[in-house]
Amino acid sequence: MAVEKDVRGARDAGDRLIAAHASGDPFAAAFKATRMPMIITDPRQVDNPIIFSNRAFSKLTGYSAQELVGRNCRLLQGPQTDPAAVAKIREAVSQERDLAIDILNYRRDGTTFWNALFVSPVRNEDGQVIYFFASQLDFTNIKSKEAELAAARHIAEEEVARRTADLTDALTTKTALVHEVDHRVKNNLLTIASIVKLQARMAEDEVAKRTLFSVLSRVEALSTVHRKLLNDDDVGHFDVAEFAGDLIVDVVGALRRSDIVMTTDLHEVIVPADKASPLALILNELIGDVVRRGLSDGGGEIHLEVRRLNGHFLVRVVDTVTPVVFDQREHDFGRLMLETCARQLGAEIERKTDGKRTEVSVTLMVNE
Amino acid sequence: MRVMIVEDEALLALELETEVEAAGHDVVGQAASSSTAYELAEKTAPDFAFVDIQLLDGPTGIDVGKFLASKNVPYIFVSGNLKRIPDDFAGALGAIEKPYTMNGLQNALDYLALRVEGGEVPSPPPGLILASEVA
Repeated sequence: MAVEKDVRGARDAGDRLIAAHASGDPFAAAFKATRMPMIITDPRQVDNPIIFSNRAFSKLTGYSAQELVGRNCRLLQGPQTDPAAVAKIREAVSQERDLAIDILNYRRDGTTFWNALFVSPVRNEDGQVIYFFASQLDFTNIKSKEAELAAARHIAEEEVARRTADLTDALTTKTALVHEVDHRVKNNLLTIASIVKLQARMAEDEVAKRTLFSVLSRVEALSTVHRKLLNDDDVGHFDVAEFAGDLIVDVVGALRRSDIVMTTDLHEVIVPADKASPLALILNELIGDVVRRGLSDGGGEIHLEVRRLNGHFLVRVVDTVTPVVFDQREHDFGRLMLETCARQLGAEIERKTDGKRTEVSVTLMVNE
Repeated sequence: MRVMIVEDEALLALELETEVEAAGHDVVGQAASSSTAYELAEKTAPDFAFVDIQLLDGPTGIDVGKFLASKNVPYIFVSGNLKRIPDDFAGALGAIEKPYTMNGLQNALDYLALRVEGGEVPSPPPGLILASEVA
């Protein structure tokens, strides 16, 4: 009975509201006809019932106007409706202020829709709240697109994470492989050098011994290039000046002569990896030649220069030694090595001899 | 000086031994693993040691080096991968990177013998990286 009486009260209130607006009232007509779902509630009645709803609201919720009148809006709530959103609506109503909120609502048939709800109090001339006006906007489509996007993003993120893990694994494997290969190459080069050196030491024939040692010096030049090129800090970086400086200091040092005057004029020249080996062999031949021609036997002067020169790159070795008789074949082979490596690089060799003084310049173009 | 060689590659060890002896030093023995190295060091009390990092029982050369340092045996690492050496060089005087050259090794040996004997030392040869320079 009480419910029926309330419904009647709500319906009467609705009727009064309509009666206050003549049928020609454009605002009332607009309210009824708009595609925007709207309702009006009466806060002065018990439980703030709906007193009026438009067609769009019935279309959205599945409830007829008759079913809605006298009911509180909470009939749209259901199990998945966020209680926090409900509490916010209740708070706005009790504090008589506007509220815009997204809330999951339920239709008459139990299906859900995302409702962009706007609630606003309507005051009379005395400032008293006489109605609440509420409009609804179904944004389920937008919400599901958001969910789809979020799901797609999640899948993409998972895929990225998976691929990154794959790449990291592949890189770890490759890095381990490179280190293994580097280790083996270094060990093999040193083993080759060791074999040659051991055999050279055991050789009784002087020519065989010297030949083996000259093979050793060339193998060592190449292995030094490998060591410097694959330096962990700067792979592929080869400074000709640094190589040349180390080589001459070690060669002259190992001669253990106090009557050698060694001077150098070395400036950094970085060359690509493919030029490193022939250049190392060229330097090895240039210095080895001086040693053979007399530095080893009678000391003397040796000067080494490595620098850039107007887009060219210059290696110059100047020596003053007392010539000794050397093995012509060994000498010829050294020349062949020098000329072959120079040809590979497109380098020019210039040789000047003046008494005991010999000057050899090797000039080549380098890419800046 | 009396030198110990810790190296797992027999050919490299033999060649190093030949080189050390050619320079007028004695080789007290070769060790290819860390356990052999400990025994050899205890038994022979060498004046100096060459220590490879990668040995038969893994990268145990660092531990061998620390052991030698604790016994006040000066030593250097001989390795293809100097990155494995700890920042403090594990008490080593320095390191030679493989592949080294014959001249580089001979010059390093001359320098190291002078250091061990406590004489005046010239500037170190290019092939020898000193711990004091890195630290």
